[in-house]
Amino acid sequence: MLERIAEIIREQLNADGIAITMDTSFEKDLEADSLDLFELVMTLEDEYGVEIPSEELEQLTTVGAVVKYLQDKGVEE
Amino acid sequence: MKTRITQLLGIQYPIIQGGMAWVAEYHLASAVSLAGGLGIIGAGGAPADFVHEQIRRMKEAGDKPFGVNIMLMNPEAEAIARLVVTEGVKVVTTGAGNPAKYMSMWKEAGVKVIPVVASVAMAKMMERAGADAVVAEGTESGGHIGFATTMTLVPQVVDAVKIPVIAAGGIGDGRGLAAAMMLGAEAVQIGTRFVVAKESIVHENYKKKIIGAKDIDSEVTGMSHGHPVRQLRNSMTREYLKLEKAGASFEELEHLTLGALKKAVVEGDVVNGTLMAGQIAGLIQKEQTCREMIEEMMDQAKEAGKQFPLQ
Repeated sequence: MLERIAEIIREQLNADGIAITMDTSFEKDLEADSLDLFELVMTLEDEYGVEIPSEELEQLTTVGAVVKYLQDKGVEE
Repeated sequence: MKTRITQLLGIQYPIIQGGMAWVAEYHLASAVSLAGGLGIIGAGGAPADFVHEQIRRMKEAGDKPFGVNIMLMNPEAEAIARLVVTEGVKVVTTGAGNPAKYMSMWKEAGVKVIPVVASVAMAKMMERAGADAVVAEGTESGGHIGFATTMTLVPQVVDAVKIPVIAAGGIGDGRGLAAAMMLGAEAVQIGTRFVVAKESIVHENYKKKIIGAKDIDSEVTGMSHGHPVRQLRNSMTREYLKLEKAGASFEELEHLTLGALKKAVVEGDVVNGTLMAGQIAGLIQKEQTCREMIEEMMDQAKEAGKQFPLQ
């Protein structure tokens, strides 16, 4: 799942070629702001068919947190 | 003029006053409401007790609709969020964050919720969370800002959501109002022009700076740490930008602006204070009552509409 999410993040943030791991922080490593996160979440929702309520955005600070969140929602790959 | 916003809020004109910290207190807000717009108490960084007192004063001033703007980074945001419910405030606008966690409480109490948004995705999220409308605020605005301009943001948000959209940022007269309506907005939010209203308690020095401002006097600080603030340039902004260019830390920069808005609004220190104002400050030429401003804007908007039949 990490690979696909990394691809989505790179596309959303126009960050071609940037290394993305589970530890990558949206704010510190990718300089993404809250508006970027809104955008990213909308795309992830479309991609995985889940709904991520906006009050849960605050906990999604790293790529790993997003992966875990989606896994907890039953997304497998 | 009837739009979904005037109907939703029960107001005569599609004009909402911005929830400016320190500026948007009950003198100004009640004058806007009594003139047929929507006056808004700006909670800014104020404690809940202060907001409570402001709401009480608003109710004394008349029974016209009014709102409260909650700046979500306020340490007492939660207490203020509850206060609007217990006080039966009809409209809440929110800034500087995501109000989703208060949404169900407000909806249950019948509060109309209007988050300020700076992007299409945020507008969609807020619609889904139950917002009744959004304020699409362009980077022309004063104070804390996003990056998209009003001209580009408003039509994109209008296309993206079904709820009505209020345009903000760069609107200071009836031509701006008409233009915003052409972009699909159903009301406008006006900040800077109301700062110089006769009823506004803002210090004379601050008002004079806005009235005297030119188009190029607008400056943005805080870009480096991701919290850009638009204001009129002065000694404070020069010092700030110098430090910012030299790579000063967020804490160091914060120290410069701590209490600086109050300094300007209340004490009239226009040298070291923060003169928050939008880019439209250059257009604003005189102090008038809120009623004069609103009626002039409406007449001008109607006139602008006639000049462009666009057939």
